[in-house]
Amino acid sequence: MLTTALVLILILPAMGALLAAALPGRPARWVATSSAAAATALALWCVIAVYPGVHRSSLGSLPWLGEQAGRGILGVLLDPLSSVLLLVVAVIGLLTVVYSLPYVSETNRGHSAGPRDQSRYYFWLLFFVASMLGVATAPNFLQLFICWELTTLCSWALISYYRGETSLRAGFKALVMTHVGGVFFLLVLLILFVETRSFEFDAIAGLAPPRKGLVFFFLMVAAWAKAAQVPFHTWLPDAMEAPTPVSAYLHAAAMVKAGVYLMARSVSSGWAMPQGLAILLGAMAVVTMYLALSYYFRQDDLKRLLAYSTIAHLGYVLLGVALGAVGSTTGFRGGVLHIVCHGFGKATLFLCAGAIVYVTGSRSISALGGLARSMPLTATAFFVGILAVTGVPPFACFWSKFMLLAGALELPGPIGPGLLALLLGETLIAFGWLLYIAQKVFLGAPSPAARVPSDPPLAMRATLVVLILGCVVAPAIGIPLVEPLGR
Amino acid sequence: MSHVFLLGSSVALFLLGALTSFALARNPRLCGWIAVVFVTVAAVPLCGVVGETFRTGGQPEVILLHLSSLGASWAIAVDPLSAFFLVIAVVVGVLSTVFSVDYMIRLEKDSVAKFYPVLLVFFSSIVGVLVTSDFLFFLVFWELMTLTSFLLVTFERESSTSQRAGRKYFIVTHAATLCMVAGALIVWQISGSFHFAAMRDALGTLLDTQPVSGHLVIFLFVLGFATKAGVLPMGDWLPDAHPVAPSGMSALLSGVLVKLGIYGLLRVFCSFVPVSASLQAWGVVVALAGVGSLFIGTLAALMQTDSKRLMAFHTIGQIGYVCLGLGVGLYCLADNPALAALGLMGALFHVANHACFKACLFLGAGSVLYRTGERDMNKLGGLGTSMPLTAASSTIASMSIAGVPPFNGFASKWLILATCLLVGMSAPLFLALAIVGLFISLVTLASFLKVLGAVFLGQADENSDVREVPWTMALPQVVLAALCILLGVFPQVFLWFAHAALAGVSQVGLPPIDLLLGGSWGLTLAVSGIQVGFWAPSAIVVALFLSGSLAYGIQRAAGARVRHVPVWTGGEEHAAGTVRYPASSFYLPFKEAFRGIYPTVRLRVPAFPASLRKALDLDRWLYMPLARTVEQAARGLGRTHLGIPQVYLLWIVVGAMVVMGILLLTV
Repeated sequence: MLTTALVLILILPAMGALLAAALPGRPARWVATSSAAAATALALWCVIAVYPGVHRSSLGSLPWLGEQAGRGILGVLLDPLSSVLLLVVAVIGLLTVVYSLPYVSETNRGHSAGPRDQSRYYFWLLFFVASMLGVATAPNFLQLFICWELTTLCSWALISYYRGETSLRAGFKALVMTHVGGVFFLLVLLILFVETRSFEFDAIAGLAPPRKGLVFFFLMVAAWAKAAQVPFHTWLPDAMEAPTPVSAYLHAAAMVKAGVYLMARSVSSGWAMPQGLAILLGAMAVVTMYLALSYYFRQDDLKRLLAYSTIAHLGYVLLGVALGAVGSTTGFRGGVLHIVCHGFGKATLFLCAGAIVYVTGSRSISALGGLARSMPLTATAFFVGILAVTGVPPFACFWSKFMLLAGALELPGPIGPGLLALLLGETLIAFGWLLYIAQKVFLGAPSPAARVPSDPPLAMRATLVVLILGCVVAPAIGIPLVEPLGR
Repeated sequence: MSHVFLLGSSVALFLLGALTSFALARNPRLCGWIAVVFVTVAAVPLCGVVGETFRTGGQPEVILLHLSSLGASWAIAVDPLSAFFLVIAVVVGVLSTVFSVDYMIRLEKDSVAKFYPVLLVFFSSIVGVLVTSDFLFFLVFWELMTLTSFLLVTFERESSTSQRAGRKYFIVTHAATLCMVAGALIVWQISGSFHFAAMRDALGTLLDTQPVSGHLVIFLFVLGFATKAGVLPMGDWLPDAHPVAPSGMSALLSGVLVKLGIYGLLRVFCSFVPVSASLQAWGVVVALAGVGSLFIGTLAALMQTDSKRLMAFHTIGQIGYVCLGLGVGLYCLADNPALAALGLMGALFHVANHACFKACLFLGAGSVLYRTGERDMNKLGGLGTSMPLTAASSTIASMSIAGVPPFNGFASKWLILATCLLVGMSAPLFLALAIVGLFISLVTLASFLKVLGAVFLGQADENSDVREVPWTMALPQVVLAALCILLGVFPQVFLWFAHAALAGVSQVGLPPIDLLLGGSWGLTLAVSGIQVGFWAPSAIVVALFLSGSLAYGIQRAAGARVRHVPVWTGGEEHAAGTVRYPASSFYLPFKEAFRGIYPTVRLRVPAFPASLRKALDLDRWLYMPLARTVEQAARGLGRTHLGIPQVYLLWIVVGAMVVMGILLLTV
């Protein structure tokens, strides 16, 4: 029963994608919405049914890979860690699809889209959702790798969706950079297969020390490239050429979250990460946070600003994973919880940016001002979004950041307090700057670009309302989910 | 009924009121009245809790929610200290809401949908702050309170000054909250729990084993709470945020929000820090910080001409008095509980008094703003005759804040300064601090004489159509002014509550109040059974009344006539507005002497050097060159494809020979 449901979760969006490609315009939109909704409902049911246990079943095998590796090579896995990603991917995926209904249409002031474009859009978007769901439910590294590369492919197609010179370039850049990461992942698979004859997650703990370090390092490189961490952070801001709902999905739930999920998965399978590498992971996370922060002050493009904020927040998640690897369970839970909390906060922010683009056709911070008068709901959502993302209690990221900080203090010695100071410093600066930007864009006297009639259409407004609620209740769902994690 | 049920129903009423007023926001007046009704009804169960708490001396703790992964649990406990602050919040809250009903209609540019609902959530977060006894959830409510108050301060959406001031307020206080997060986490490292009692034990251990960390934690907490309380230099947000907020909100900021910083300080020092030499040292630090901010804050106030900004500076000054009382009380807590009790009671009493007179003053300034649209006192004058109720209540409140007997400000300042003087016998530092306090009391009086003179006295403008404000705005001011008199004339009644509040939290047994302030018709200070001071306000009131009526009688009997003549110079008559003595002309030598006392610093966006920026741009020097190299290499390889079959055959033959060669050599 559960297995069927989990397989359906994967198949439904994939079928939806194919149908959407075949049907033009309006039917494609309905197919897309209903398949995403069905997958989300099933995902919710599965998570509730399985919690707090683990459900694992194998569906097929490849005998020629050998007795051990080939058995159960295809299958599904649902444990608390994958539940976290599954929920984020499914729920935010559904919201993205609903939001796209008016956004990817003829009425968009920034970019109007005809029926053929719509079919193409929904095909790739649903395919993206399906492959992310595959990442979340993959039971071993091989299946994870396949879905992982599928997400790369989908994001390439979606980033280049407008087919302009810059979009094509940005899509290609994203493809190449994340694919380089994928090559490192492939190397991990090869080493793992040669050494242990298995692709299981647990196999990684059984490697001999020098190989193990190499494997973890390659995994880290793969995760850095996918999650746009330093030094591979440059593709993500350029990927802002994508339609805004795609950016929202890419940042909040998909693609970049696959990178941090891979790291969380490999660290928590046996907790075998070498200490030195864990410290490297944590240090790079902090460096990434501050480097991303330094870009804030120069951005005039609202979406690029949000992109840098995403880079910083993925740093938080990886820091939590690194804390888990050096022995702090609370830190690990905080990091995983941050996937959920940041997902909702960042989705809210991007969809607000999308609403602004939709209504005004502009996303330049300096050209916008005083939008709150005509777009009160968007303004509310944006403010909730920045408070949620920067971790102002009682909104989402406060809880995950707090757990992370608590986790940092579980470490002995001066590292904990030092991290505490660094993270709080980053939080405060980011909070101050985002608050300033939000005030600039929404409050004050309306600028010429901001003289627009009203909030965006109903479907977009409904999405924003759901996300506002999500920014408040995400920790209430996330904290029970992360509690079974840890060694 | 259990206190949790009462508190829950009151918070539920606040939230229900928020929803209702949000739904009815199209009609500002109706929306305002809905808010008033809900706030008043929600105040009833709160009063029940307060009464029960003072009767029983504290309510048992109830745990509502448990987060096992952090060791945090949402625990509700009401002790007399919480109850004391709840009373202040309820009184000022209800009156400010009533005041806002008519006031907010004037601000027609912005919808009240972002005032009353937020205000009601603000009230519920205050209740949450006061009754929570677990630090994690305390911080959540605390920051919710900051957030809602930020939204209220920046109510005027299109005014860039209010946005700027609100942003400053939010960022500064958020930084303070992050300091407290850090402090709480450092303690959590040892305690494994955020419960107040567990944190107290852990902090005690920390101070014994790692004094540096222990003092760092106390410092972080003090920083956090003192920022909210408006102690300089962290309180710099106050003079910016108060003037731009709607006046009802300014009253709440000064009357309630700032007081919760003091509540936090009291919690930290009375129940977290063990009574020891380090507490004594922190007492000196708090007293010095207090005197610093009362000195600078009040002198800076003297130079202001914006009425609400002036009052905001006085809030800094008066909080300084509170901190002085707190500091002297903490200093004595270990050695002399009687003096400590007097100092702390003085501080707590001043908190209540300040809530009354400062709320009244802000409402008064708001009333003037409502009728004239002016906060600049240079452009005001002669409003005393047209706005008699406002003028009378502002006068009473001004006398109170300046510490003129028999008003309430005198009683609490007397208590604080008397304690300082008594402690000063053995520690001369406090003698000096008390003298500064006395001097500043005079400055306060001067400053408010300026306000009264410039706004209410003098000749009114011709053809001015300024009238008294509607009763909804006058009533709160009159009630607050009456409270100023009541608290001043019967201080012993209110000091009983202050004593009960302190006795509930203090780790040292405080002497019973009868031994400290004997006498039923006044205050008789007694330390170790020796009477050291005496203050009988009712006698003074009687004497004042008698001499006042005597003076009035003499004036009437003498029948002196008052002669009114138009003002003229150079043979020309002038309009009243041009010949009035303006607020900026008061105390010029003083202002000259203390000109630089409140410097302003402008912050700029950090500028990164271009070279660093270039070095960090990996695309520019790493990825793009790499991509170009790959492209060129590919092109170079492509050149080998000439499309001539013979050349390909040649390559195959050469390749086969190379392979053969290698095989022959290796085998």
